[in-house]
Amino acid sequence: MKILVVDDDLHIQRLYKEEFEDEGYEVVVASNGQEALELFERESPDIVTLDILLPDIDGIRVLRQMKEKNPKIPIIMSTAYDYRDDFAVWASEAYIVKSSDLKELKSMIKNLLEKK
Amino acid sequence: MLEKLKEYAELIFDKIQDGVLVIDRDYKIISANKASEKWAKKSLLDILDHSCIEIFHDNDYVCPHCVAKVTFETGDVNVAAQRFQANGEEPSYAEISSYPIKHGDGEISECIVFIRDVTERMLCHEEILSLYNEVIQTKEYLEGVIENSADAIITTDLNGIVSSWNKGAENIYGFTKDEVIGKFLPFVVEGLIDPEWENNKRIREGEVIKRVEAIRKRKDGQIITVSLTLSPIKNTDGEVIGISGISRDITEIKRVEQELRRKNQELERLFFISSAMRGTLELDRLLRMILTAVTMGDGLGFNRAILFFYDDINNILEGVMGVGPISHSEAYQIWAKLSMEKKTLTDIMREIDAGQSLQDSHFDSIVKKLKVPLDKDTILTKTVKEKRPFNVVNSYSEPLSDSVFSEQIKADAYATVPLISRDKVVGVLWVDNYFNKKPIVDEDMRFLIAFSNHVSSAIENARLYEKVQVAEKELENIFKSITDMVYIISDDYVIKDVNPAVCKRIGRSREEIIGKKCYEVIHGTSVPDINCPHQITMQSKVSHVKEIENSFLGGSFIISSSPIFDFTGRFVGTVNVMRDVTELNELRERLVKIEKMAALGEVAARVAHEIRNPLVSLGGFARRLEKKLDGSLKDYAKIISDEVGRLESILNDILGFVKEIRLFKERIQTKELLEDIISTVESELEGRDIMIKREYLELPEIYVDANRLREAIVNIIRNAIQSIDGNGTVTIRTYIRNEMFLLEVEDTGKGICEKDLPHIFDPFYTTKKEGTGLGLTISNKIIEEHGGNIEVESVEGKGSIFRITIPINIFNREAKNENSGS
Repeated sequence: MKILVVDDDLHIQRLYKEEFEDEGYEVVVASNGQEALELFERESPDIVTLDILLPDIDGIRVLRQMKEKNPKIPIIMSTAYDYRDDFAVWASEAYIVKSSDLKELKSMIKNLLEKK
Repeated sequence: MLEKLKEYAELIFDKIQDGVLVIDRDYKIISANKASEKWAKKSLLDILDHSCIEIFHDNDYVCPHCVAKVTFETGDVNVAAQRFQANGEEPSYAEISSYPIKHGDGEISECIVFIRDVTERMLCHEEILSLYNEVIQTKEYLEGVIENSADAIITTDLNGIVSSWNKGAENIYGFTKDEVIGKFLPFVVEGLIDPEWENNKRIREGEVIKRVEAIRKRKDGQIITVSLTLSPIKNTDGEVIGISGISRDITEIKRVEQELRRKNQELERLFFISSAMRGTLELDRLLRMILTAVTMGDGLGFNRAILFFYDDINNILEGVMGVGPISHSEAYQIWAKLSMEKKTLTDIMREIDAGQSLQDSHFDSIVKKLKVPLDKDTILTKTVKEKRPFNVVNSYSEPLSDSVFSEQIKADAYATVPLISRDKVVGVLWVDNYFNKKPIVDEDMRFLIAFSNHVSSAIENARLYEKVQVAEKELENIFKSITDMVYIISDDYVIKDVNPAVCKRIGRSREEIIGKKCYEVIHGTSVPDINCPHQITMQSKVSHVKEIENSFLGGSFIISSSPIFDFTGRFVGTVNVMRDVTELNELRERLVKIEKMAALGEVAARVAHEIRNPLVSLGGFARRLEKKLDGSLKDYAKIISDEVGRLESILNDILGFVKEIRLFKERIQTKELLEDIISTVESELEGRDIMIKREYLELPEIYVDANRLREAIVNIIRNAIQSIDGNGTVTIRTYIRNEMFLLEVEDTGKGICEKDLPHIFDPFYTTKKEGTGLGLTISNKIIEEHGGNIEVESVEGKGSIFRITIPINIFNREAKNENSGS
């Protein structure tokens, strides 16, 4: 199973990569929206964690483009700020506020992949 | 005897005053008398037998040689005058004459030359000559003056037959000199010959007639006025033999003079009319004055006049007023009456100004019905459009004449002038002379135009005045009907007027309030309030707006105070508008609070954003370390991850507070909700001796966001628990009050001190060592989002009661009805 991690914070990228790899997933990382969309097509990930605040393209727009390309790939919005009231994020399968405790995120990934 | 004669001759020869010389053909002086010495400037001995040329020719004196030479050559007597001048001497003249002496054969052998001093005679002659020249010059000059004079200078004999006729006369009368010399004066006007003979008689008696005016007829038939001066011409015996006349054309001067006089009269009339008009601002009265001025004999003197106003909105001309008789009989009646009463324009103007003479005539009632739309081109509409006057000589043959004039007014000739004020046409003045049929001439038109200029501005003023009056009425209505309190105060704090809103608020009648001091009525004080805007406006003389707390009237008010100046610009008081903003202020305070929250939220969100990412990696890697390490290092890693966890939860609290809440409402049972909450908090008691008591009176179904409401209530119960040191009780009661679900949380804790009580819901306000200071703020926000509120009652040392009310809204009631129905 391949996870695409999209986050412009390099430490978080590494944290997610190591933690998910420990769980047995293959992980690819992208630091901006453009890169994320390229990897989404090239690497065909099974699931995506997507930050909203990105240096180039707004994460919400990245979400929409990914859903246009392949609506079956679950996407978890993982952000530093609570965007739950933004209707756009409802297009994603799940939403989580980033936390140093990755338990919830990991279970979310597991559940979504199982559902798939 | 011959000897004797010779002796006499020699005697004469010697004694004679003239120089006498005998010269032979060789110009040798054969003989000379004593007097010759003077001319030769030499003695006789030096002269005799000398050549005449040698003696005389080369000097500056007289030269007998030259005179004698002619006689020798021609054989005739020769006479010459010679002028000579010795150095430094007066000029002298000599007359030299030579006589031939002939022998028997007829040949001239000698000449006798006489030299005579003619200086005296010559000087006399020169004088006469110069006098003569002078006379000639003077004559020429006079002739020139006469000839070139702009005045006509004419001489005649006593019968009026022209003997001289200068250029001026040609110019003034048009006849040339050749046409009139020898003929009777050509310019005398038939029928006016008698005064001419009268003048002639006086001249014959030697009188001079100076600068009298006379009428003359030019060759082209034009009659001119001249100023005439006539003088007798006398011969050397003093007998009058002729008449000289100087005449000057004063026609132009007369015309200008008349023009000036007429202008002056016009101006006088205009000045009078306009000053009378300026005196009145009442439109109707003014219009009647204007039209009367137009139709009165000593006004403009037209028979009838109509005033039209131009309505620029509907683009029509409307008849406003007409003055004049409608029929001949009425006209004669009026004229007869006027001539009997001998009323002047001044009298009538006064009558109108005093409000008399305002009766409507039949003509006026016709005029008032006239309406002329401007879409067609007629004389009347062109007067407006082209802003110029028209003089219609025949309304029946004029194609553009308005039919109303020929049909209803029956005017056969009339004139119109536009009334222009500030470049805009405000109306049209129409006049005619229907009854006396006097043609309207250029002069009438000029006067009418001048008059219209005065009228226009007066009408404009009166219309403005009328508008002001309407505006005043409107203002009064506004004043009466406005819900804000409006009152007018003089500069000595006396209330001059109030509107009904003031009376209502104060609870006294207008009559009771007017005349009182404003500070007594408005502020309930005995001295002026220095903070009152009226006070400030009085000092600054400019409008001032201020919000004041007024405990006397009970509330907050915005008072706007504006200065009032009288027409001389003197400050006389203020007009004040007072609005009760108590309610508005409460709203505003709430708004400020909301804004404060929003600002706080934005800052918090941004800060949280920047903090969360480092916290995630910090805590995340600490957890990884914790997994991989052993012993005390593992503990250190745990401390880091725990502390990060605590920071993250604070962050979540802040973000939970700042995020705008979207409620996901659902129907829930209050009992289930409360039991769930109580079990949560009880689990947190951790063996503390605190009892949670349930006193449920009513447990309705409510329509709320269960998770949010749960969070709000948990916070409040936790707060209650935390207030208890040691053992105590938290009592939870439920009621329904006024269709609201009421939840009471009472604790037996330490209570909230009075100072803190108003601030317990403020963000980050906490008395506890732990906690974010956001718990109660968030609870309050959630309850408010549900349309409810929290009230707190607290006694320090005894405990607090939090009362939460939540509306049981329509969905819930429907649900309830369904339940009760089933």
